[in-house]
Amino acid sequence: MKGWKAATIVGLVGFGLVVLVPFWWIASMSFKTYEQIQFATSIYVPRPFTWENYTGLWLDTRFPLWLRNSAVTAVVVTAITTVISCLSGYAVARLRFPGRESVASLILILYLVPPALLFIPLYRVLAELGATNSLWSLFLSYPTFTVPFCTWLLIGFFKALPVELEEAAMVDGATRVQALWRVLLPLAAPGIVASAIFAFTLSWNEFLYALIFIQDERAITVPVGLNLLIYGDVFHWGQLMAASVITTVPVVALYMFIHRWMVEGLAAGSVKG
Amino acid sequence: MGYPERWVGLRNYIYLANDDTFRTVVRNSLVFTVVSVALKVLTGVAMALVLHATWRWRNFFRGLLLLPWITSTVIIALTWRWMFDAFPGRGFFNSVLLDAGLISRPIAFMATPEGAMAAVIVANWWRGFPFFGVSYLAGMQSIPGELYEAASVDGASAARRFWHITLPGLKHVIIVTTLLTFIFTINDFNIVYVMTRGGPGTATQVFATYSYEVAFNALRWGRGVTISIFVVPLLIALIPLVSRYLLRERAA
Repeated sequence: MKGWKAATIVGLVGFGLVVLVPFWWIASMSFKTYEQIQFATSIYVPRPFTWENYTGLWLDTRFPLWLRNSAVTAVVVTAITTVISCLSGYAVARLRFPGRESVASLILILYLVPPALLFIPLYRVLAELGATNSLWSLFLSYPTFTVPFCTWLLIGFFKALPVELEEAAMVDGATRVQALWRVLLPLAAPGIVASAIFAFTLSWNEFLYALIFIQDERAITVPVGLNLLIYGDVFHWGQLMAASVITTVPVVALYMFIHRWMVEGLAAGSVKG
Repeated sequence: MGYPERWVGLRNYIYLANDDTFRTVVRNSLVFTVVSVALKVLTGVAMALVLHATWRWRNFFRGLLLLPWITSTVIIALTWRWMFDAFPGRGFFNSVLLDAGLISRPIAFMATPEGAMAAVIVANWWRGFPFFGVSYLAGMQSIPGELYEAASVDGASAARRFWHITLPGLKHVIIVTTLLTFIFTINDFNIVYVMTRGGPGTATQVFATYSYEVAFNALRWGRGVTISIFVVPLLIALIPLVSRYLLRERAA
């Protein structure tokens, strides 16, 4: 049994290194000066340590604006998604209507259709609507992937809750809407929070639609803005890595909060992206 | 925007069938997808075995190893691009190899077709394997312990227990993760676009990046859509299969 224990420790250390080395690379580079990066001095640990990438990023680039755009988009999309998917999830989980099972499969199939297939037609539709070049294009397009995914998750959460409580409320004179609002939603709160965080993360990290639908440098989101930082005349690797740190921290914080639910909700394949 | 629209029948399809770049794109997409998915399955099983054998802080390690999966793909692609880079300032691999005395000057990994393909595969693998590992861990935890005890009593070695109990128990989840990831990887845009833009030349051009290139840089909208339509038959075959597995899982 000693051998197995040693092998497990070696495995944990190995996987830990594979996962952490790129993160350490990001963090360490974000604290180096331009010269340290260009001339490859003090490669592994930043010496001297500097905040200049963070201040430069904040004062000399449009990063604060991009961050605001990303935050607004993620919040609006999460709100839209949560309302729609609570209602549609409820409908599939609780209401009896013909074709209910096909609706459930259809939602799943919609989630599995990749954005790479939709971006050209969606671009044309949004251009017709005059929504391109503003965050409206993202408010309208992101729900095409967040709503099916969150609905699918919520159907599972709702079905796992006992229907008797809602029935009892309705026997006592509550309407269906009251039963949903006062009984089911509070009970399903953990699931709803988890699905909202998924929607937030998916919008926060989305790149393809944001790249195509918006050209105006003041309206782009962080992932697209990061690309502008490399393809300028100079490679701003330090600022880029500082931006990566700032962008990753909120998601990691949210995720620590729901790690357990997230793992349970993994099954529906959040590998998209 | 682009050229005036008119009915062209099947001309876009015929054009692509004779387009050498498109053939390279089909091959690249398959190499990228098959190699990434195979690596993810193998490392995923290894990661699950390690986590399953972890006797303390298992949730902590599981959370730690999942970090790549919640990080923005654009950030992952940028970071790996730099880690493989030769200039400016030497990437991670060049620094380590130089300091270990294994090479005498930096190698430009991303400048060769094979190096660039390997780099995008590694980045994609790194982002994806934790999801596999966590899914397989959940699968392993649902295999009843009595099966292993009975097999041990009968004198089955660890390797045979793995082969005859663990792998069959994971069959379902391996199929689901493989199919799902296949669908999303063959249509991947972010990693390839950010790391190589399909280059050098067309060495890493895949369906999504080529479709983008043709539609938005060459302004050939119809042809761009046609490229993505080529993946549809594959999706029509795979999507119902995945849905069936996922729906069955939910019914159970």
